Amino acid sequence: MPKIYRNPDVMWREEDESRAQADEALEKGENAEDIGTSLLFSDGMMVTLNVLGTEIWKMCDGRDADEMVSELLQQFDVEADVLKNDVAGFVAELAEKGFIHYEE
Amino acid sequence: MKSEQTLKAPLTINWAINNSCNFLCRHCYSRSDTAEELAGDVLCAAMKRVAAAGVLSVNFGGGEPLLRRDLLDIASCAAGCGMRVSMNSNGYLLDKEKAVALKNAGFSKVGISIDSHEALAHDRFRGVAGSHERAVNALAWLREAGIKTSISTVICTFNHEQIDSLIEFALANKVSQLNFHNFKCSGLGLANKDELDLTPLQWQEFYRKALRAKEQVKELDISLDDPIIASLGLKSGSSMVKGSVCGKLSLNIKSNGDITPCGFIPVVIGNIVHDELKEVWANSPVLEKLRHKTPTGKCASCSDYGECLGGCSARALAMTGDFNSPDPHCWIP
Repeated sequence: MPKIYRNPDVMWREEDESRAQADEALEKGENAEDIGTSLLFSDGMMVTLNVLGTEIWKMCDGRDADEMVSELLQQFDVEADVLKNDVAGFVAELAEKGFIHYEE
Repeated sequence: MKSEQTLKAPLTINWAINNSCNFLCRHCYSRSDTAEELAGDVLCAAMKRVAAAGVLSVNFGGGEPLLRRDLLDIASCAAGCGMRVSMNSNGYLLDKEKAVALKNAGFSKVGISIDSHEALAHDRFRGVAGSHERAVNALAWLREAGIKTSISTVICTFNHEQIDSLIEFALANKVSQLNFHNFKCSGLGLANKDELDLTPLQWQEFYRKALRAKEQVKELDISLDDPIIASLGLKSGSSMVKGSVCGKLSLNIKSNGDITPCGFIPVVIGNIVHDELKEVWANSPVLEKLRHKTPTGKCASCSDYGECLGGCSARALAMTGDFNSPDPHCWIP
């Protein structure tokens, strides 16, 4: 399974207040899907990520998709199959935008 | 996993580190700006605070940044704080040695201003003989040093029909990006507006052709930074925010440290030496107005307003005194 790396040309940062707001919502069992907690910025393109997207992005440091899923399952209360699909789709989208690359 | 953004600080700052210039450009927005410059140590301290606030990149301008003797120290400081460092230059003072020094100081990208593929036309517009040749040489030195390059072209009456030639020229010089900058009615740009600015219908025609070229030419990133193109159907995915980016994603800092929403809006909202960036960013009433514009005039009944938000706020302010006025370049009746 290929390892996934962030493109070093992509600038990114977490939005502290929004992250705190998302964490609070998650603790209460509420939906935090629409809260942007980080943003990626490269060559005039910007993408805002919610808390799950942010955690996946932070894991794009040489881990493969299975490793990501197994770590995320410890953090988020979600079905393994659903998460696996979400991770695969999200990572593919990042690759299409050139924000990540794969290495065997 | 994408969602709406809320920003704690600007993503990028356009920073005029000096206002001295070796060129006499006929559209210059900053010729009448203050000559006061912050000392290198004051600038560096300010950059450290800016980086700590969360700003990801700084783009030096002015003036001609290469005229600032401590440019390399300033760039090293900014890069050392973790920010991506770039600049806009006319390229006249660049040579092989300087390009390597810029790379070593931390520059990742340099944009060179070139307004025509024809040397004479460029030299006439920029007011310096031989400037085109030196700009072209600068691109080669920068590329050789490992710095990403772009060409910045201000679109006006003498080059708006040269899209294909400008693209060919950019490809021949192996730049990664070609920026078609829309004409701003600021500084000398306002004084020479009648001679240099296009009519709204000429802008519409230019953007139609430029957007077509952008779609067709895959080897080059063609950047069109004008919010009024939203009415031509370039919607989601093509622009980072709706309307002007000024005050939403970026800010401008003048050579004396004054903060303005953008380089073309001469409204001071703070000073980077005396004020806290995050405080200005969060609480400036001027930024609040720019982020929540009210449609006036023809914008009030325009179906495209939700996408363009009145177009370029700087142009509207320059021509009417009100951010909320319709962009004077807008071609919609």
